[in-house]
Amino acid sequence: MTVPTMSSVTKTPKVAIIGNPNVGKSTIFNQLTGLNQKIGNYPGVTVDKKTGTMNYHGSSYEIIDLPGTYSLYPNSEDEVIAHRVLNQLSESEKPEFVLMVIDSSQLSRGLFLATQLIDLGLSLAIVLNMADLATKRNIGIKTFEIFKALGVPILSTDARGEKGLDQIRDLIHNRNFSKKGSFLAIEEVVPIGLLEEVMAKFGMTNTYQAYQMLRFGRVDKIIAQEDRDWIKDKLEGLNFDLEAAQLEETKIRYRKITTIVEHAVLKEVSTIKEKSGLDSLFLHPIWGYVIFTAILLIIFQAIFAWASVPMDLIDGFFAEMSGKVSDLLPDGPFSSLIAEGIIPGIGGVVIFIPQIALLFGFLAILEDTGYMSRVVFLMDRWMRPFGLHGKSVVPLVSGVACAIPGIMAARNIGNWKEKIITIMVTPLMSCSARLPVYVILIGLVVPDRSFGFVNLQALTLLGLYILGIVGVLGTAFLLKIILKTTEKSYLMVELPSYRAPRWWDVVLTMYNKSKTFVLEAGKVILAISVILWVLASYGPPAKMDEVRAAGEAKLALAATPEAEEQIVSETSSQLLENSFVGIMGRAIEPVIRPLGYDWKIGIALIASFAAREVFVSTIATIYSIGGDPDNDLTIREKLNQQIRPDGDKVYNTATAFSLMIFYAFAMQCMSTLAVVYRETKGWKWPLIQTVYMTALAYLSALLVYQVLS
Amino acid sequence: MLKTADQIPVTQTAVIKEIIDSPLKLNLMELGFLPGKQITLKFSAPLGGPMAFKLDETILALRKNEASLIEVQLL
Repeated sequence: MTVPTMSSVTKTPKVAIIGNPNVGKSTIFNQLTGLNQKIGNYPGVTVDKKTGTMNYHGSSYEIIDLPGTYSLYPNSEDEVIAHRVLNQLSESEKPEFVLMVIDSSQLSRGLFLATQLIDLGLSLAIVLNMADLATKRNIGIKTFEIFKALGVPILSTDARGEKGLDQIRDLIHNRNFSKKGSFLAIEEVVPIGLLEEVMAKFGMTNTYQAYQMLRFGRVDKIIAQEDRDWIKDKLEGLNFDLEAAQLEETKIRYRKITTIVEHAVLKEVSTIKEKSGLDSLFLHPIWGYVIFTAILLIIFQAIFAWASVPMDLIDGFFAEMSGKVSDLLPDGPFSSLIAEGIIPGIGGVVIFIPQIALLFGFLAILEDTGYMSRVVFLMDRWMRPFGLHGKSVVPLVSGVACAIPGIMAARNIGNWKEKIITIMVTPLMSCSARLPVYVILIGLVVPDRSFGFVNLQALTLLGLYILGIVGVLGTAFLLKIILKTTEKSYLMVELPSYRAPRWWDVVLTMYNKSKTFVLEAGKVILAISVILWVLASYGPPAKMDEVRAAGEAKLALAATPEAEEQIVSETSSQLLENSFVGIMGRAIEPVIRPLGYDWKIGIALIASFAAREVFVSTIATIYSIGGDPDNDLTIREKLNQQIRPDGDKVYNTATAFSLMIFYAFAMQCMSTLAVVYRETKGWKWPLIQTVYMTALAYLSALLVYQVLS
Repeated sequence: MLKTADQIPVTQTAVIKEIIDSPLKLNLMELGFLPGKQITLKFSAPLGGPMAFKLDETILALRKNEASLIEVQLL
């Protein structure tokens, strides 16, 4: 039957898992590898590289989970990866064996890809997954018929019920894969002479691989420019229509597959009417949207209610750590760096984990049950006029909690332009970090009065949220006009059958997403917070020493503990004023003066680039508000007492509204910046985003202040 | 009578005659929209939103633009 290929005995063999979307590929990957997973990157693209180790009977195997695809033709970034790895073009991943997963009730679609893999000359085995569903649908498959036609090993499993997983492990362990050679002779549609030239040029032994190189090599950046030019010249010289050949290939392939499927599949005509009961509710033109809104509300409620508990614990834990470290270490720059720079920096990364994990947990459940593609179906029409895709709904809605998981979720959008627009506008949604800033400022200038049911303060807050949405749609619309792409936007999505979520997969998603965030974005966040700490705690040494000495002199004379506390907080306020951040605050004063801000607010603006909520603690330090800085009332009173040289209040209505508008639009979040950097693989987009958001914030705040004052 | 798939009324079934030439032709074909196959329109999102077709055992959603690339004959 099949000869096990014993190519690499000493090296860990690599097995790639491939299949159409929604066939349970990732479940098989998760079951085989468990927690031994690693998420890395493929060079030059944002697609996650999921690899894991399977240990079985004392041997280990490296398993690669490739993105789901319908064919070897690369239409999206995901599919480019599948294309490269399977064509052995990827330097880092050259799998020895390929495990092709097929949905038993979608046989012909799966065989389309499987037969392409056979033609590539890969060592292949096929897993017919979801056998249970096929049985339920009265589909019987004679696997032997398929084996006869294809000549590669076939297993029938149900990975959700864990049935047949040991069979898969055995199959891999016994290296029961087989190279069949060819299913469709590509020479039928492409001149053999041309294929032989390509094979000679690139040292290939397989005609189908040569054809793939000919068809896609011109546009694949992983191929050397010189080779791409060579292919281009070859094709132009011959005047041969490759796209027509590809269509012809598709037709012949499907014709051959249809013959196999007709022999292999027994389908009893079921008398039971197809149940689309759930969908007639979930996709209903009215109820569908009502249910979607309700699900969103439940998710947000849960994120706000459940994430706040661990977030408070994390906050408390890192504050305590800082305190302990500064107590233990001798006073000095080193202790201060650790206690006030590094520990809060790490805390600033860890604090996001509850929100990220919860949001991705919910998203995984929605994805796994099959509901997510219904959301895409419902929302696509409403997103398209703004240059967005049905899939943009999830990132945008997540942005209300936090832009970071939202931007991470934008990865599912296949179209480059729609993905970039989604990433660029998501931070304009009013995230939870803006809330403390809004609450303080609203409390300061908006009277707590009600007209009927409508409370003025609540109305203002609602207005700020709506402003965020208006900003999102307006900016998206502008970007739609500005950004150019040749890539055509399309929506072709399967609405899979509803199923119960696989909880283990949900947990793994939560774990992996959090891990990726901490490892990738965490580095940038930590680096920026250390820089900000340095700027805020150091200044020209002579001046800083003078302030410190004066503070200590006063402290020696202090009579009561209250007076001591007062002096300490005044000293730290003066130290901040004379630090580099203070100097920067003064330097930008001429620029922010037209917005109604003085240099103290300038300091808060610079410091809160770390995160918006830092605004509150920074102004607490600047105005030397002792006691509990979390107490809104003390901050509010103190701010109310700040008087300008001309006798007017610093925080008058115009300034407060100008600040709120500024915070609504400004990119005051280095974590978002770090995540955009990670998702777009470069500094270009995060920089453009920072510039446009700051400009938008500045101009809107300017307008508001000039109109109100 | 020959129509395109975006004109199929809800719950009606049609046979695919041809996929019109376009850059998306291959994408449609690899999903299984092939001449000779039967498709049924199951759901249609409001205001000209996407359409959900039953093809073999699966339901596939397409935008109206993409559905208009599929030439069908109503059954």
